Amino acid sequence: MSAIDRLAARTPLPVGFYTLTKREILRYVRRPKNTFAPPLITNILYFSVFGVVLGARVGEIIGVPYILFILPGLIVLGAISNAFENASFSIFHGRWNEYIHETLTSPLSYTQMVWAYIISAAFRGLLVGVIIAAVGVAIISSLYQPVPVENPFYLMAFMIVIVLLFASLGVVGGLLATDFDDLTMMNQFILRPLVFFGAVFYSLNDLTPLLRDISLLNPMVYMVNGVRYGFLGVAEVDPNLSLAVLAGATVVVASIDVWLFKRGYGLTD
Amino acid sequence: MTNALEITNLRKSYGDVQALDGVSLTVPEGSFFGLLGPNGAGKTTFISILVGLVRKSGGEALVFGHDVETDYRAARDAIGLAPQEFNVDRFFPIHEVLEHKAGYHGIPAAEARVRAADALKRVGIYDKRNTRFDWLSGGMKRRFMIARALVTEPELLILDEPSAGVDVQLRRDLWDLVTELNEQGTTILLTTHYIEEAERLCDEVAILDSGRVVAVASPEALKGRGADHITIHLHNAPHSRPQLLVGDDRVESIEWNDDQLIVTAREGGLIAPTLVRELDREGLEIVDMEIARTSLEEIFVEMTHSGVDRTPSDQDEKEHAAPIATDGGHGERTQ
Ligand SMILES: Nc1ncnc2c1ncn2[C@@H]1O[C@H](COP(=O)(O)OP(=O)(O)OP(=O)(O)O)[C@@H](O)[C@H]1O
Ligand SMILES: [Mg+2]
Repeated sequence: MSAIDRLAARTPLPVGFYTLTKREILRYVRRPKNTFAPPLITNILYFSVFGVVLGARVGEIIGVPYILFILPGLIVLGAISNAFENASFSIFHGRWNEYIHETLTSPLSYTQMVWAYIISAAFRGLLVGVIIAAVGVAIISSLYQPVPVENPFYLMAFMIVIVLLFASLGVVGGLLATDFDDLTMMNQFILRPLVFFGAVFYSLNDLTPLLRDISLLNPMVYMVNGVRYGFLGVAEVDPNLSLAVLAGATVVVASIDVWLFKRGYGLTD
Repeated sequence: MTNALEITNLRKSYGDVQALDGVSLTVPEGSFFGLLGPNGAGKTTFISILVGLVRKSGGEALVFGHDVETDYRAARDAIGLAPQEFNVDRFFPIHEVLEHKAGYHGIPAAEARVRAADALKRVGIYDKRNTRFDWLSGGMKRRFMIARALVTEPELLILDEPSAGVDVQLRRDLWDLVTELNEQGTTILLTTHYIEEAERLCDEVAILDSGRVVAVASPEALKGRGADHITIHLHNAPHSRPQLLVGDDRVESIEWNDDQLIVTAREGGLIAPTLVRELDREGLEIVDMEIARTSLEEIFVEMTHSGVDRTPSDQDEKEHAAPIATDGGHGERTQ
């Protein structure tokens, strides 16, 4: 790490903020078996079963093989659940074992503390997103066709915004949780359903008008749609609007995080 | 000169529990300050407010002039805390935990590494630097807590019961270490149940009971508030008991038991010569005399109406024997 330390020392990055961010990143980078193996294996399975096996029956959606259609959704699913889980778990675990006191009793501003947690968790989400993309691209391009990246800017922008958004939500989760089951609940009963009904596996055009309108209330639809636009260049919803709404939501949620830290919600008596 | 701590009417309630009920205290810069009080008196609550782990319900707390809420960063930067309960990151080897702590205080990575090594050497666990906290022995864990408090070179070092459950050797090392730091200018705030520790180390102590300050004074001055016991054995029981020390308002009581006389009075050491002269004048021959000074512990118990732990006794550490006094006999008295 010391090469990166030296590099960081030459930037105007506050040392405290840098240290906390680094610590939070090391916490998962040092456990690659826990961090990177699960999404790797799960997504090889997803692509094989949903893409290859099921895809053979489904055929094409919006003009591309089914497996390519689901690629963006799987990336989003992996990225946001890892960002969320990392932030919520790290904060909750620190509260549970009280070592979050090391941070709280330090002269970091509340904003620095919050953004250190958000950025480190978001970075994990991005890394997982890249792993899933790599698996997908490897499988798709060897069995079907090369994977296009029509709008690299949108792809990057959407990925960054959504991992930041879900890391910010994870901070709220970590502060609100009262035991480890709460964390599992949030992931299993809120995040996953939203993703699965977020047009990951089907096109909005295949839904009845009523179901389509209901789906548009699901924020996940815009994320998947945006990332899909980045790869395939086709969007069912305006990508600029989606991006603006998601960025706005991120700012709002991150501000709530800072406010909660300031109030000491779940952190101080 | 700014004070290390300036606390005014500090309050904290946890639901119905009034943990701090209007605490006002001033801790001068450079002092060695003791915070004594029975279990639940509010010591840990008081400290936690200073570092931001507990939110005050009222009053004001300034650390070197910085308000703990509005100017929390400067206040926290000044403090190194070794808390009562272990709250250490158990994922990283201990030298990294120290480097991180130093980093949060703005110390760049390269210097943080040096500081971490120094702090570990200082408390004598440098050879364990690559171990995780969980693998340290109980005493080493205590040492590590001190190292973590020291790694940021704080102006105010707060030790919340650092000697709970540690052996004699560690307690002495700890005393030497904090004395040295204090001599170099670090202000020290120590909470303890061991009266002897406070007496030996502190310039000034505050006694806290049920969230209120019941006394602030030097250990010496506090002891001066208590009564001493002068026990005299005479060669023979006197035929008639003479009036002694008439008109001296320092005297609280005089008890006779055949050939034994017990005088309870403040400033026993000053009264004793007069007493000896008066007995002499009555023709009574003294065979033995003891002055038992009030221990700080007795004062403490009186002020807080509660018991306290005594230092797990190690005779060689007993210190409060005045020249002609012995330490005997406190236990037999009833208050
Ligand atoms: N988180 C909390 N929630 C509710 N009550 C609390 C909490 N922390 C402390 N208290 C109560 O506040 C009072 C003061 O506790 P505190 O821990 O400050 O005492 P202390 O003087 O440090 O005691 P000890 O010598 O046992 O460490 C006690 O009555 C305690 O039960
Ligand atoms: Mg305590």
